Formats: sequence, C-alpha cells, structure tokens
Amino acid sequence: MGFGDYPKEYNPSVHGPYDPARFYGKPDTPFGQLKLSEIGSWLGRRNKTPSAFMGTISRAWWRWQHKYVQPKRVGMAPFFQLIVANMIFFYSINYGKMKHHRNYKYH
Amino acid sequence: MLSRVALRSVVARQSAPTALVARTSATDACGVRDEKNFPRPVRGEPGKVRLGFIPEEWFQFFHSKTGVTGPYTFGAGLVTYLFSKEIYVMEHEYYTGLSIFIMVYYATTKFGPKVASWLDKEVDQIETDLNQGRVDTIKTLEESIATEKDAQWRAQGQELLIQAKKENVLLQLEAAYRERLMNTYQEVKKRLDFQLEKAALERRFEQKLLVDWVITNVSKAITPDQEKQTLDRCIADLAAMARK
Repeated sequence: MGFGDYPKEYNPSVHGPYDPARFYGKPDTPFGQLKLSEIGSWLGRRNKTPSAFMGTISRAWWRWQHKYVQPKRVGMAPFFQLIVANMIFFYSINYGKMKHHRNYKYH
Repeated sequence: MLSRVALRSVVARQSAPTALVARTSATDACGVRDEKNFPRPVRGEPGKVRLGFIPEEWFQFFHSKTGVTGPYTFGAGLVTYLFSKEIYVMEHEYYTGLSIFIMVYYATTKFGPKVASWLDKEVDQIETDLNQGRVDTIKTLEESIATEKDAQWRAQGQELLIQAKKENVLLQLEAAYRERLMNTYQEVKKRLDFQLEKAALERRFEQKLLVDWVITNVSKAITPDQEKQTLDRCIADLAAMARK
C-alpha cells in the first residue's frame, strides 16, 4: 500500500463506494464498551504503524467533515469548533511563554 | 509485426481481475456487494451542538451519570479551576479575546439568521442548477415516450385508414366492374337493335318494292277495255247504290 492507495481491506465490489470516514478492517470492541481490565489487551491488539495512525486521524477528520461541514445546511458550529480547537492548540504550544504573564505568585 | 503479436499474447494472458487487483491493492476484487453492512453513504443532517460548538453527544454522555445540569457544572468547574490556578493566564490577549467574542456574538445573533436564509437560498439554487440537467433529461425522455405512444396510437389509426382505403379500392373495383358490365350490355343491345332495325328496314323496302312492282305490273296489265268495263261497272254499282 503506497501513498494515495485505498486501505488493503477495502474491496470495491463488496463495500461499494469508498467512504473515507469508515474503517474497513475487522471491527474490534469499541473503546467505550471496554472494561478497565481489557484496555491493556485492547491496546496490544492495535496496529501502531505510522500509516495506521495517519488512517485514524484521517477517518476522524472525515467523520467530523461528514457530520458538521458537509451537510446541506450547516450553521456556524464547525467554524466555532475550528476556532476553539485552534485556540486550545495555540495556547498549549505557547504555554511556556504565557506562563511568565501570571498575575499571582501563589495559587 | 512479430512484436505486435507478442504484445497481444501478453495482453491476452493477463486476465481482467489481475489488473483490478493491481489498481485497488485489494485482496480479491471479486465478491458480492454487501448492502446491509456497507450501505451507500448518504448526506445527513448537521450534528446538533449546544453553546454554538459543543456536540450534543457530550451532554448526552453526562446525562446518565450527573443529570441535566452536570455538563454545565463540569464546564464551569473546569474553567474556574483553570482560572484559579492560572493554568489559563488572563494576560492582555485574554481581554482582546473577550472583546472579539462579544463582537462575534453580536454579529452572529444580529446577522446570522439573514445570512443563513440567504445561504440556504443559494444552496437550493446550486442544487437545482446541478439537478437541472438530469431533470431536463428525464423530462425530454418522458416527452419522447409520450410522442412515441402518440405515434403508436397514430399507427393504429393508420391501420384503420389503410383498411378503409382497401375497402374504397374494392368499392372502386366493384363500380368499374359494374360500369363495364353495363357498357357491354349497352353495346350488345345497340348491336342487336341495329340488327333489328336493319332487318325491319330491309323488310319494309322489300315490301315497298314488291308492292310497287306488283302495282306497276298490274296497272301495266290493265287494258283500256278492262278499264272502261270497270268504270262502267262502277258507275252501274253507284247507280244501284244511289237507287237504294
């Protein structure tokens, strides 16, 4: 599987049109339905290659796109979400500098 | 020449599925379409949010554990914690952010509905424009179906018309036949009449000529004596009749 290819498990004659938000591999138990004792083995079963990480992020991106950006009549929600995410991201990367602007010594 | 033949044999040896596998890098390209587990994706409605951007699912996640006010309490508590411990530092950019927030809030509440209705109209316009070609094609095809049905109906009419024309031709043939029959009858009658007239005329002439001939011969045969005797006899008869 090179760059720009479909996932290995995707078979157009079975799965039909490709949905970029969908995981085409063998489904595991969803993370939300796990017991605490199963989390270790669940994490052990995960594919930890860089391409798998990229695939996860890409699917999350497309799920957000399909849910909030791509519908026919969207409001301001996706834009506000982007703004808030950017605020959090930039605040966290600049946190080291922001720290010096603290107004109080003791908290 | 030979190279082309070789190329063709190579192409023939490669079957279609191999080419598909090479393109999609899937395990095997053959298989039955699984509509139940992999339905065709549809364009859904936008996800619900609260406070402008927080997904509704986040609040639903809290409801079973904390009740309805739980998520708000959690959010307020988290913000208070961040402020109080100065993890979120209120430096000069914080107040800039507040003023920007007020402006954005005002703009959203003031102009949001108008912009939304205008954008909805635009979206509808774009969708109708995109669909227009298909709608037009469907309309054209339906019209051509109607035309075709009309043409079939007319063709049925043509059959009736042709039948009527055939009947008409038969009638004409009948009329021509009868006319000729009449012609024949009249011609035959004319000839027979001519024959009859000719025969009658001949007989009349013969009679006339014979009568003339007899008269001339008889009058030629009468001598003056006989004439005188006859005259005398006539006068005597007249006298006898006058006496009565």
